[in-house]
Amino acid sequence: MKKLLAFVLAAVMALSVCLTASAELAGTYDITIWVAENAVALTEKQVQDFNATNTDGIVFNATIEAVSEADAATQMITDVEAGGDIFCFAQDQFARLVQANALAKLGTKAAETVTANNDPATVAASTSGDVLYAYPLTADNGYFMYYDKSVIPEEDVDSMEKLIADCEAAQKYFAFEQQTSAWYLASFFFATGCKSEWKTDDEGNFISVNDTFNSPAGLIAVKGMKKLVSSPFHLSSGSVNEFNSGAAIVVSGTWDYTAAKEILGDNLGVTDLPSFEVDGKEYHLGSFSGCKLMGVKPQVDAVKAAALHKLAQYLTGEKAQMERFEELAWGPSNLADQASEAVQANPGLAALIAQSPYAVPQGQIHGSWWDIAKVIGEDVKNATDDAGLQAALDNYYDKISSLFTLDTSALLFVGAWNNWNNADDTDTYYLKDGSVTLDVPQSDYMGGRIVNPGSWDTDKGFQQVTEGKELIQDLGEDIGDNNIVFLAPGNYTVTWDGTAITIAAN
Amino acid sequence: MSEATAKRHMGLRASRTVSNTLIHVLLIVISIIWLIPFVCIVLQSFRVENTGPVGYIIPHQWGTGNYTRLFQTDFPRWYTNTFIAALATAALQTVIVLCMSYTLSRFRFKMRQPLMRFMLILGMFPGMLSMIILYRVLKDLGLTQANAVPGLILVYVASSGMGYYVSKGFFDTIPMSLDEAARVDGATRAKILYKIILPLSKPIVIYTILTAFMGPWGDYVFARYIAFGTSAGKNVAVGLYDWLNKDQISNCYTMFCAGGVLVALPVTILFLFLQKYYVEGVTGGAVKG
Amino acid sequence: MKQYSDLEFLKLSRGQKLLYRLQRFLISIPVGIGRFFMKLIRALGKLFAGIGRDLGEIGATFAQGDWKTKTSFFIMGFGNLARGQILRGILFLVFEAVFIAYMVMSGGYWLSMLPSLGITGPSEEYSEVLDAYVTKYHDNSFQILLYGVLTIFFVIAFIYTWRVNVRQNRMAEKILASGKKLKSGRDDLRSVVDDQFHKTLLALPLTGILVFTVLPIFFMILVAFTNYDGTHNGYTNSLFTWVGLDNFNTMLSWDVTGGAGTQSYAATFGEVLLWTLIWAFFATFTNYFLGMFVAMAINKKGIRFKKGWRTILVLTIAIPQFISLLYVSKMFAKNGIVNGFLMSMGWIQQALPFWEDPTWARVTVILINIWIGIPYLMLITTGILMNIPADLYESARIDGANAWQQYRKITLPYMLFVTGPYLLTSFTGNMNNFNVIFLLTGGAPVNPAASSAAGAVGYTDLLITWLFKITMGAESQYYLASVIGILVFVVVALISLVVYNVLPSIKNEEDFR
Repeated sequence: MKKLLAFVLAAVMALSVCLTASAELAGTYDITIWVAENAVALTEKQVQDFNATNTDGIVFNATIEAVSEADAATQMITDVEAGGDIFCFAQDQFARLVQANALAKLGTKAAETVTANNDPATVAASTSGDVLYAYPLTADNGYFMYYDKSVIPEEDVDSMEKLIADCEAAQKYFAFEQQTSAWYLASFFFATGCKSEWKTDDEGNFISVNDTFNSPAGLIAVKGMKKLVSSPFHLSSGSVNEFNSGAAIVVSGTWDYTAAKEILGDNLGVTDLPSFEVDGKEYHLGSFSGCKLMGVKPQVDAVKAAALHKLAQYLTGEKAQMERFEELAWGPSNLADQASEAVQANPGLAALIAQSPYAVPQGQIHGSWWDIAKVIGEDVKNATDDAGLQAALDNYYDKISSLFTLDTSALLFVGAWNNWNNADDTDTYYLKDGSVTLDVPQSDYMGGRIVNPGSWDTDKGFQQVTEGKELIQDLGEDIGDNNIVFLAPGNYTVTWDGTAITIAAN
Repeated sequence: MSEATAKRHMGLRASRTVSNTLIHVLLIVISIIWLIPFVCIVLQSFRVENTGPVGYIIPHQWGTGNYTRLFQTDFPRWYTNTFIAALATAALQTVIVLCMSYTLSRFRFKMRQPLMRFMLILGMFPGMLSMIILYRVLKDLGLTQANAVPGLILVYVASSGMGYYVSKGFFDTIPMSLDEAARVDGATRAKILYKIILPLSKPIVIYTILTAFMGPWGDYVFARYIAFGTSAGKNVAVGLYDWLNKDQISNCYTMFCAGGVLVALPVTILFLFLQKYYVEGVTGGAVKG
Repeated sequence: MKQYSDLEFLKLSRGQKLLYRLQRFLISIPVGIGRFFMKLIRALGKLFAGIGRDLGEIGATFAQGDWKTKTSFFIMGFGNLARGQILRGILFLVFEAVFIAYMVMSGGYWLSMLPSLGITGPSEEYSEVLDAYVTKYHDNSFQILLYGVLTIFFVIAFIYTWRVNVRQNRMAEKILASGKKLKSGRDDLRSVVDDQFHKTLLALPLTGILVFTVLPIFFMILVAFTNYDGTHNGYTNSLFTWVGLDNFNTMLSWDVTGGAGTQSYAATFGEVLLWTLIWAFFATFTNYFLGMFVAMAINKKGIRFKKGWRTILVLTIAIPQFISLLYVSKMFAKNGIVNGFLMSMGWIQQALPFWEDPTWARVTVILINIWIGIPYLMLITTGILMNIPADLYESARIDGANAWQQYRKITLPYMLFVTGPYLLTSFTGNMNNFNVIFLLTGGAPVNPAASSAAGAVGYTDLLITWLFKITMGAESQYYLASVIGILVFVVVALISLVVYNVLPSIKNEEDFR
């Protein structure tokens, strides 16, 4: 009887929650949306569509402002409070925005929908730690090669050396932004299999990096880069407008397709990036495959927040992405849209797809990495021999390692003592060799996983251990990424001698 | 006149003709160098066959399309914003600068020297940093984003007292005896300013108005910070500059040039007419600081 | 060092004179520092004595004053009101009321939070029903710092006003005792446009400067002692707090690992500073001499279209820099018009690296700066050149001096004397010449060796553009930008100090009358 009553009560409560949930959202909201200039009109229409079709009675009174996606983070960080309620941004700004608390986490249900319907790489791009912070908007933020068919013979497009020779012979420029952009120069490194993979926690803090730019493979990459940047007809630019100013080849992305078509007309060739040759071996140039995301600003009003998330879901949904593809030729991240014939047939996107086997998902990258890595191009240009090229890599490595520990013999562990969901208590310990004493007090356990050893699950520990570049193998009594477990409250000494870890209770 | 001196004079004249010819040539070369960028910008603004930046100067196809397109964008709004800001700044800043410089030139009071020294020291701090905090101050006053124009005016005008050097230098050249004579006749200090000093100060007043009017047209960094994320609050510099973003430049570059021509127009016209006063003001004041 | 008498000094050549003054200045530094501290101590002593005297006087005012005066200690302006000075009384009273209301309503809170800069950061809650997160904001470090500083200003203003109020009571008592009349409200109003006219004139400008210049600078200096940056923005993510001298230690440290790269912060700062000084030097003097030259050329007898030439040059001033400089910057690009022209003429085979090579880029910005600067200098020098008495040249010509000698002996000394102060301000102005560098190169080409944690530093970056990059960069390290701002101030102040002491023509403003 009691059980039944409880069930009925629960059912009634659930029902009323459902009812109020949809009713609660009804209302008119004044909001600001930041999108790229060319998407303003379309977004305006899409918001109207949402107002007309949504079943919750939500009406948005939206002001659409043109804010460049490349610039959104800088603008948001100026003043989060006054920023757009919904805004679009390029993937590289994601971590910065999360750190600035300018992105509201997605609710559980919203996160499920987004994860199921979008390209996994774009979902990863919207995720920090285990938390989804943004909605994938496009999946076309990569680059490939535009060229002038009247200058470049079609049979040469697979070899960078031939392309350079063609350009020099024709006194035309090969535009590939190597001196001012890490995004483009990473191309050479990806060609030889180098990587720079960063991991973030739930709050957007970077906790580890696996970076192999400074390696024998990296040296091959900069040798290839040297060939290009030392050509007098290399131009460090990523804009197809250079076709107007003497360029025959421009490496750029889908956003430039219309402009390129307008300039070159039938002479426009679009294809994947070429290969370069070092020591008799061919390396196909790689690329970043990134995406654009849509974020919702954290709100103080829960109802408005929920309504905004509904709108963001709609604006990044299957229909809206398709509309954007049709009007602006933005490549969709939505899986259903990606599979559509029209998308498959688009020449810009086709080149992107041709390039995709060599593309590396962008993931989360530390904001300072872009500044650090972009000087490689300058260094490589100035280098006169292999030692100079190696010095460029060393310089890069030094800078990355002072930003973040890359010490292979070091132990870094990150974790929360008590309530391990609460990042406020996260501590980071860095041990090159030696030991650290930790206090794991009884009182702090109350909110956390371990209150009373034995009666609680202790298998889900709270320490992540990073050795040097990567998360290392299990260190003991734990699963997954969480390697150290303190079985009881107390005072511990953790010692690291460069190869092994010992934990002793004091 | 002896033959020798006549010859010398002729020699002098000959060498003067030679050097004058050389100088004329030089001035022509200089003028060409100075004019090239402007001519280019004007030419680009009439280019219609392609809207992105190109590698040639003379348009292949001429037209006013860029100007008409300009008026379909938010440009008129930005232009009005800037124009209002420039007018208001010109009026208010002139009053403030003249108050400040007149006082520091004419009055001898206890705090005068320390005040001038203090402002000199203040001027040594890079103003760039104030941006962040001024944004907050203006935000609390509700003068950011869409309301950026009054906010900008406030900021331009408020600190303008620091720029008193030139006009103080000018006032310094007006003899004190005029004031003293008027004092003897029983005129108040205020009356002396209106009745005696101001009529004599036409060049410096015009100079101050002109420089104050010019300022807002070129302000990019600060205006952008204050008006971030809203088109309605932008000034021309911010609005036009945004057209050079990589996703817009191929569509908007010639419009940028057309906008630039329109921006340059009022200031250039003013300059052409008021050049004389500008020169008098700047030479009267700039060097005496 | 030998000390010259006035007569001996006059006999020295120009260079020797300058050298002599410089030496004298350098020698005088330790003495000067000593004197400064002596002065400081004496000033402090004076200050304390002053405060003591003041307190004594306040005490005496209270003890000896009548009941009106005594009440005025607590109700400001009461004495004025009671003695018939209604206007003053009301002003005092209103000020006190506003002050008390402000302190009770918010001032007290800001002051109490100032030491910690806030306690509670924002928090987040998940609403399962709505499937949305909601954020609650709490303390705001930025506002605490801003309003805390404002409140301190306000308190100081209040104390000062209160003191004036007390003194006025004492004076009023004295005046009344001597049988004279007090100033009426009408007298006060008249003095506003007469005796005290300078205060009226200065009120508005100084208020503006106080709020929009002094306050921000004060605030900026304080920020250098906090950890205010992109990840501690004080409100929407983490609060920021005081960190003492940490930021200065970072910036001025020669420790390589702290500088994120192959160079320490101090070394990078030194490099950027050096280039800033070189740039300021060349930007100032190339413009100065070439501008003077152009002015002389235009003014020369027998040159036609004087007004026309001037107008053409002045156009550069009239057209906003963000348009002209951006265009000029593109002209000099690798595939820009300049290179295209040179190549099509067959003068060069490959594009010249105007913006790609560090030295080329530095020279190019200086050259383009001449293009911007000459018109101003031309205008300024035109007038001064005309002021040089013509008979000086006449007599020089009679003595057989050629044009160069006339320039060396008459024009240049005169110009240097008159424009000395201008040169100094123009030098410091060029050190902070943000627009030219930002619009032309944006600091490029990047300097691979420089510290990068605070934005990629380029070879043409000045301290001011570096500061901007740090502010707007990936990590928005406002605190580091503030440190650089303070260091820029120190450098500028030092240079000004040296120049003031070495160049005599700047010292005395009355000389120019």
